[in-house]
Formats: sequence, C-alpha cells, structure tokens
Amino acid sequence: MGHVNLVMEGLKFMVLGMTTVYLFLLLMVFVLNIVSKIVKKYFPSKKLRPVYMKREAVKASEAKNDDAVVAAIVASIQQFKKQN
Amino acid sequence: MKNLIFIFLTFFAISFMANPLYASSSENSVQTYKVAQPKVHVAKSISKMFSNFYKTTGIYAFLNPRDGATNALGEPLSKFAQGWGRVIMILITFLLFYLAIAKNFEPLLLLPIAFGGLLANIPLANIIGHEGFIGTLFDAGIKNELFPLIIFMGVGAMTDFGPLIANPKTALLGAAAQFGIFGSLVGAVALSQYTPLFHFTLKQASAISIIGGADGPTSIFVASKLSPDLMGAIAVAAYSYMALVPIIQPPIMRLFTTEEERKIKMVQLRDVGKIEKLMFPLTVLMLSILILPESTPLIGALTFGNFARVSGVVDRLSGTMQNSLINIVTIFLGLGVGSKLAAEKFLIADTLGILALGLIAFAIGTGAGVLMAKVMNKFSKDPINPLIGSAGVSAVPMAARVSNKVGMESDPTNMLLMHAMGPNVAGVIGSAVAAGVLLSIFK
Repeated sequence: MGHVNLVMEGLKFMVLGMTTVYLFLLLMVFVLNIVSKIVKKYFPSKKLRPVYMKREAVKASEAKNDDAVVAAIVASIQQFKKQN
Repeated sequence: MKNLIFIFLTFFAISFMANPLYASSSENSVQTYKVAQPKVHVAKSISKMFSNFYKTTGIYAFLNPRDGATNALGEPLSKFAQGWGRVIMILITFLLFYLAIAKNFEPLLLLPIAFGGLLANIPLANIIGHEGFIGTLFDAGIKNELFPLIIFMGVGAMTDFGPLIANPKTALLGAAAQFGIFGSLVGAVALSQYTPLFHFTLKQASAISIIGGADGPTSIFVASKLSPDLMGAIAVAAYSYMALVPIIQPPIMRLFTTEEERKIKMVQLRDVGKIEKLMFPLTVLMLSILILPESTPLIGALTFGNFARVSGVVDRLSGTMQNSLINIVTIFLGLGVGSKLAAEKFLIADTLGILALGLIAFAIGTGAGVLMAKVMNKFSKDPINPLIGSAGVSAVPMAARVSNKVGMESDPTNMLLMHAMGPNVAGVIGSAVAAGVLLSIFK
C-alpha cells in the first residue's frame, strides 16, 4: 500500500462522487421541472371545491355557533364523502 | 481469588443440594435421578461435577482467558478480548442503553443494537456464531444486505416527497451536503497515510465516510459490502450522530450565516398533484437505472415504498411497510448489527477514528449544505434561506426540524420546516447515489 498515494486516490473518489451526485440530482431537477410543466398543461389539477367552505360561512358559524349551520355542514360533508 | 470463588460456589451449591443427596444416598449413584441421556453416563464424584460446571460458567470464562481461543465464528481471540474486553463492552452497552432510554438517542435502533452487543459479549454462549440466534439473523439479512433494503422500503413509504417536487432545485442542497461523505473519505485516508495509529484501506475509508450521509440503512448497506468488521462502530456512530444532529448542526449553521440571512422568508410551496407524486419515484428510478445501476437496490427499494404510498390503492401494503414490516426488520437489524459490538471487533483504535471521522463528516456536510444554499440564494429569483441547506444531510426529519428551529430563533414567524423537507429528502437520494458511486468503484 505504501507506494500508492492514498490521499490522491481519496481526492479522485471525491471528484468522481460529487460529480455523479450533482449530475444525478441536476438531471432529477431537470426532469421534475419538465414533468411538472407537462402535468400543468395536460392534467390541470381539479380542485376539490366541495371541501373548501366560503369565508363568510366560516365567519358566520364562528360568530353564532349556530347548530343548524353546523348540522348543515356535517350533512354536506357526509354527502360529499358518500359521493366520492 | 479464583479458588476462593470456586470454593464459595461449591459450598453454596452443595448446601442447597444436601437434602436430595441424602435422600438418594441409599441408591448406588447420585446421578441416577437425572433424565435419561443418550450417551453412556460415566459416574463422577460430586466435586468433579461442580468443578466441571464451574468451568462452563461466565465467571470462569471472564477470569480465565485462554490462549488460542476462537470466537463463535472461528476467528482467534486475544486474552484481552475474552476477559476485560468483554467487561468493558458490556459497560459500553449499558452506556448505550442510558443514551437510548434517558437521552432518547434514536432509541428504536440504539436499544436493539446495544442489546445485541450485550448478547454478543456473553462468553461461551456463541450467540453470534452461525448457529446462534443473532448469528442467524446476521446471516439471514445483514450479510446479504436484505434488512437495510427493507428498511429503505419503509422509509420510502413513510416519506412525502411533495416539498421536493414543489421546489425541485432544493435537491441541489441535498447534493452539496454529500460533500461530508467524500470530505471525510479523504480525511480517513489521510489519517492512515500520515499517522501510525490508523490503517484504513480505501474500502474501509469509504465505508466509514458514508456515515456523513446521515442515513443508517445506507451506512449499514455499504459497510456490509465494503468492510463488515467495522460495521458495529459505523452503525453506532451513524445512529448516535443522527441523534446528535440538534447539537452538532446549529453552531455550524450560525457560523456560516448572518442574522439577515437567517430571517429570509421563502415563498409558500405550491400544491403537488397526484400525477406528479406518482411520476416522482419512477423518474428517480429511471435516472438511477441509466446512471448508476449500482445504487438501484437502495433507490429501487425506496421508490417502491414511495410508489406504493402515492398510488393510493395499496394502503394495506404501504401501511405494512411503514409500520409492522419496518418494525420487525428494525429489531432484526439492530440485534444483528449488535453482534459486531463484540469486544474483539469494537475495542480497537479504529473505532475511535471512526467516531471522530463520523463527526467530521456530519460537520462538513452541514457546512457544505449551508454554503450551497447561500450561493443559490444569490442566483435564485425566489429567496432561499441558507438554513435549509443543512437539512441536506439526510437524517429525516430531524435535520429539517433543526433548520426550522434555528430559523425561528431569528424570526419566530418564519416557518422553514416544509422548505427544509425538500433538501432533507433529496439528501436521502443523494446519499444513496453516493453509496452507489463508492460501491461501483470497488466492483
């Protein structure tokens, strides 16, 4: 082992290793960006609207804590869950 | 001293045996009431029996190390490793118990590893031999690298790659942090070249440096391929330092950043749809097939687990991988790795070197990640808080939490956790790639 410069070998490993790791992850970033563009263009995300309640409805229920409103919300959620 | 103990033991035993002895004295032999034995039984005097029995006790084995003894695997043992070495190792396993239980250091792995180490240091029992139960576990799943891969599957099933998909460029931070691996590799070979204390070969140095990947299963995977004898120390170092991430990282992070940089707020991450989440594991696997087939066992297991998770149709399978399967395998892996905590394997100067190099690897990785994030912040159109760079050393999710915590010290309203998860999970992929490179070099 004496005549091989281990430190030089280690540095070579470092250059090879870091290059590969960077190359791999750069490629990954590149491909992920392409995938996200394709998905955005051809498969635009369908927002699950029924789960989002209107701001006013939330405020109203917070303010009054109206049982009828709460019941209506629970019923609508159950309806939504049944549908899906 | 030895004779005293012997006499004491004999006296102790005889005093309990006295009644049955008298009761059976009318018959011709004391031994006749023993269960039938296949071999012809040779009558021995009672004192001879006790002295033979004493020779099979742990006390005798600890006190009388023999020359030319071998361990359960047939490797020669020094007298030190048979006597004091074992006692010291048992104390070390107690220290590990303390760290796992009182200090909560990665207890899920440290506790089984330490208990495996305790069992490995029992003299004469041969638990770590090919016939012993821990030896069997080792042969079944660590020697052939099966268990780390199953753990990786579970890690894949548990990990949400959403933050990385939402902001892919943070993956580069996960790449920078792998500098810790290669930096400590150079450190390890430099140590063996310029000091007389250590003699790490390139293979051993590579196995040690992977501790810098801050990823337990990857470390064990690489160690089992490149340097199985050092596996115990490597696993203990990897898991201890992962537990110490909240102590090791913050000073380095503060050293490389200014107060203003720590206050940088990042743009809210976008929502990631199911299709993108499904495409992600496939993308990563395809890339590793093309560039680095050597790392496909690790990446393949990780992406399989993740694919099962995001598919949404095999919740039972992904649930099993995340819970029961990973738990079972963690028990086996811990005990099996513990078998490498036998005195003859652990109480060597190399272990100190491994512990030191592991720490250096963590520090370099953290620093490299933070510096990379600073550079990216200069060129990116969206601001990047340099603190998320440190999360590039895997250690999911601990490192990301540390980024979040240090960020909140400067600005309590700054939530970096999800931003740090991106580099954090990229770090897992990065260390698997680095492991693949190291393995491919020695192919």
